[in-house]
Amino acid sequence: MNFQAVIGLEIHVEIKTKTKMFSTAPINFSMPPNTLVAPLDLAFPGTLPRVNKSAVEKAIQLSDALHMDIDHELHFDRKNYFYSDLPKGYQITQNYRPIGREGYLDLVLADGRIKRVHIERLHLEEDTAMQHHYANKTLLDFNRAGIPLVEIVTHPDLSTGEEAMKYVEKIREIVTYADVSDGKMEEGSLRCDVNISLRPFGSEKLGTKVEIKNLNSIANVQKAIEYETIRQQKMLLKGEAIIQETRRFDETKKATVRMRVKTDAVDYKYFPEANIPPIKLSEQFVNNAIAKRPELAEQKRERYTKKYNLRDYDADILLINRQNAAYFDDAAQYTQAYQTLANWVNGEVSAYLNKRQIEISQLTIAAHQLAELINLIEVGKLSNKQGRQVFELMLDSDEHPEAIAKKHNLLQLSDPNIILPIVIATLSENPQSVEDYKAGKDRALGFIVGQVMKKMRGQANPSLVNQIVTEEINKL
Amino acid sequence: MHILDLTISEIHRALVNKEITPRELVDEAFRRLESDANNLFETSMKEQTYKRLATLGEPEKDNVFWGIPFMIKDNFSTKGVLTTASSDILNGYIPVFDATVVKKLYQAKALPIAKATMDELAMGGSGVTGHKGPTFNPYDIKHEHIIGGSSSGSAAAVAAGIVPFALGSDTGDSVRKPASHGGLVGFKATWGRISRYGLFPFVPSLDHVGYFTRSVEDAAHALNLLSGYDKMDTTSSIKPVENYVKKIHDGIENARIAVLNQVYSSITDAAVRHAFDHLVENVKAKGIIVDFVDIDEALMRAIYPTYIVLSCAEATSNNANLDGIRFGQRKDGETYQDIMTNSRTAGFSPLIKRRFLIGSFALMRENQFELYQRAQKARRLIVDAVNKIFDNYDAILLPAAPSVAPKFNADSDALSDEYLIADNHLAIGNFGGFPSLTLPLGFKDNLPFGVNVTGRPYADADVLAIAYQLENIIGYRNLSTRRMKQ
Repeated sequence: MNFQAVIGLEIHVEIKTKTKMFSTAPINFSMPPNTLVAPLDLAFPGTLPRVNKSAVEKAIQLSDALHMDIDHELHFDRKNYFYSDLPKGYQITQNYRPIGREGYLDLVLADGRIKRVHIERLHLEEDTAMQHHYANKTLLDFNRAGIPLVEIVTHPDLSTGEEAMKYVEKIREIVTYADVSDGKMEEGSLRCDVNISLRPFGSEKLGTKVEIKNLNSIANVQKAIEYETIRQQKMLLKGEAIIQETRRFDETKKATVRMRVKTDAVDYKYFPEANIPPIKLSEQFVNNAIAKRPELAEQKRERYTKKYNLRDYDADILLINRQNAAYFDDAAQYTQAYQTLANWVNGEVSAYLNKRQIEISQLTIAAHQLAELINLIEVGKLSNKQGRQVFELMLDSDEHPEAIAKKHNLLQLSDPNIILPIVIATLSENPQSVEDYKAGKDRALGFIVGQVMKKMRGQANPSLVNQIVTEEINKL
Repeated sequence: MHILDLTISEIHRALVNKEITPRELVDEAFRRLESDANNLFETSMKEQTYKRLATLGEPEKDNVFWGIPFMIKDNFSTKGVLTTASSDILNGYIPVFDATVVKKLYQAKALPIAKATMDELAMGGSGVTGHKGPTFNPYDIKHEHIIGGSSSGSAAAVAAGIVPFALGSDTGDSVRKPASHGGLVGFKATWGRISRYGLFPFVPSLDHVGYFTRSVEDAAHALNLLSGYDKMDTTSSIKPVENYVKKIHDGIENARIAVLNQVYSSITDAAVRHAFDHLVENVKAKGIIVDFVDIDEALMRAIYPTYIVLSCAEATSNNANLDGIRFGQRKDGETYQDIMTNSRTAGFSPLIKRRFLIGSFALMRENQFELYQRAQKARRLIVDAVNKIFDNYDAILLPAAPSVAPKFNADSDALSDEYLIADNHLAIGNFGGFPSLTLPLGFKDNLPFGVNVTGRPYADADVLAIAYQLENIIGYRNLSTRRMKQ
């Protein structure tokens, strides 16, 4: 008997804003615990929430990127429960009216199929305090309490670990390119919970749902789902009942393990937050927010392949790293040789960065300087080999690449007035080769070109030398 | 007579004319506070106040609050001053910030004398549920009658002549009812007119900052000072504030006043009815229209259950922060659940727990539609019905309470109209966020009772102007136990 997995994902994204969702405490992850805390973040009595406009703009930007309907009136609700990391005893969220509703995302799977994932809702809420557990105590850090979060909930549309992995990858690409979040699963700025149940193929009825939490990498999303699918399938085949529970992925065991059995679903007693009146969002506000959004990876890919005529593969490589793409975009302002530029960023530059284990932001060659180097290669002033030499020199110099090339005698000679007399001299010195050439031995031409290059100590532009030699030999 | 016995505006003139100094006023206020027997304050602010005296400078002619002693209900956040809302759960809690209204009074150089007692967490109307025990009605030296609550200490302090002004809060009638029992002017402005930042939340959509004075003019002065948009409270209104003091003199010739038949007829106390009828006659004699109009009685009977469901439900959530983890009184335990359970078990009185249970029950998934959402709907229907009356009338005039202050432990029939309607109708003002003011109307057995004027949202100036005329007609101005003795 064959089973189909029914998978839904809930992704929490920490929104990059200067201050918290409902207070003016600054956000900074490198500060000591409990130093970035406003009275509201500790839920001191009498404090009142104030909505962070920038977080709202970013939620709009994401909703739009996910093709969602955007609610033009903001409503917040309370989700009530007691927990030591929840200062107010409730979380302010958007239960009844999420800012984004009913969107989708298209995924390209490994076999080339396009999978459309329908997204149910996107809403704004706030993070809890960070807990640090020790043997006999728990310490609370309220720096995190109140950081804006966006939760993105899919319909149960997915059916494999690969689809889920691609979906999370795509969400991360969108949030990072839109500059809405760091999107780092390892650091918790992007968190993914999986809901998974199995049912026999063809069955309409959903099976018992298991939740998987605490997934700390995109690869683990796939691994956890693949493991869990097999686990549930084995149980079902043995006639065992699936228990409604929360599991986590144990990286060393490469298995999902039980965290807690869910008895009855918790009743969060949602009701509207009266301290925040409904806020009307004008068409102009919404449109401005969307217009302000940095270019998404999808938009860049379109530009790279259609306008710049890059190969798909090169465009994809560039887009893996948002900083690299940004560097490429900077450099593309100064050159038209887009494919060569892409080759360089993906090749020479990336190799260097890998070797040094640094990010492109730490590269000592400015984007426009790299573009100038490429222009020198394009017009034939530098050979590829010379280009690489100049690149090395540029790493430790602020000088213009042409100046560096000149200084180190790396410039290709491309002046026909200089090359021509040398060609004529070489031809007259090698009558045998001329004759061989005339007799149809093409290799003779190569010999003469080689002689000319030798006389010019390799600095002449080889294709120009080739061209002049051909012209002159034909005149004889 | 001491200058402290006067109204704010009168004391102000005396201060400007150097007939008295702020220090002399404060000395007298503390003398009275410390010898008071009504159990009306939580924490004395003596030390801070005497420090403040040094920073006052010269009298400010245009600032009536300069040098005026006042008290603060203990559910307003006061930086550096113990604030417990008369609940054990907040024992030891010293806030790090001032409520906006407190800050405004400090900036006006008014002088805080003490934090006033209250019903625990403002839940209650008797003034007996605070952790310091009952607050007494200063008009009753035998201590048999309540002053009412939840702003009990604030009302008692103004009635006893300790201060001419006290901050209170009003979620159902917590300023306007004790004002009736204490012979005071008790006012809450339109919801959103005064910032709630720093007021401990009970039911945010019903919570109002309110206050007690001994004259309508003083109430207008206080609104001039306290009203206005506050960026810390996004529900505060951006509508421009008015000069309410100037407006009370504008006259009300064209005013139309409604009396709600179904509320009026629920009042059975002959003295109250007589005084109210007498007032209506006198108002009419001034050429002002007063009509007795009908309102759906079922809606009036629904006020109390609606209030109980909404207030208990939201109170559970608004007080969920009081868990002993971050501030207030902690009772230790093995796990965080134990700490929370132990702290809350020890920190709240049985009455509060009862309200939380009712509230949680009303919010449970299976009950929410039938209880909480129905209560919200009932609230809307009640407000709609009242707004219809405001289509034709500028204000609603009604007795503020069924009678004078009841005795401690007085039984009331919870299903009678007298209780359901007469004793609870002031919550209409909270449901609709209407400006609403109680002022003294009469005495029975040496205890005062009041009358209430409620107006349209943001018609705060109209309500004050009408109340000012009523005050002139009734003739009770600046009542306190000290003046009654004279």
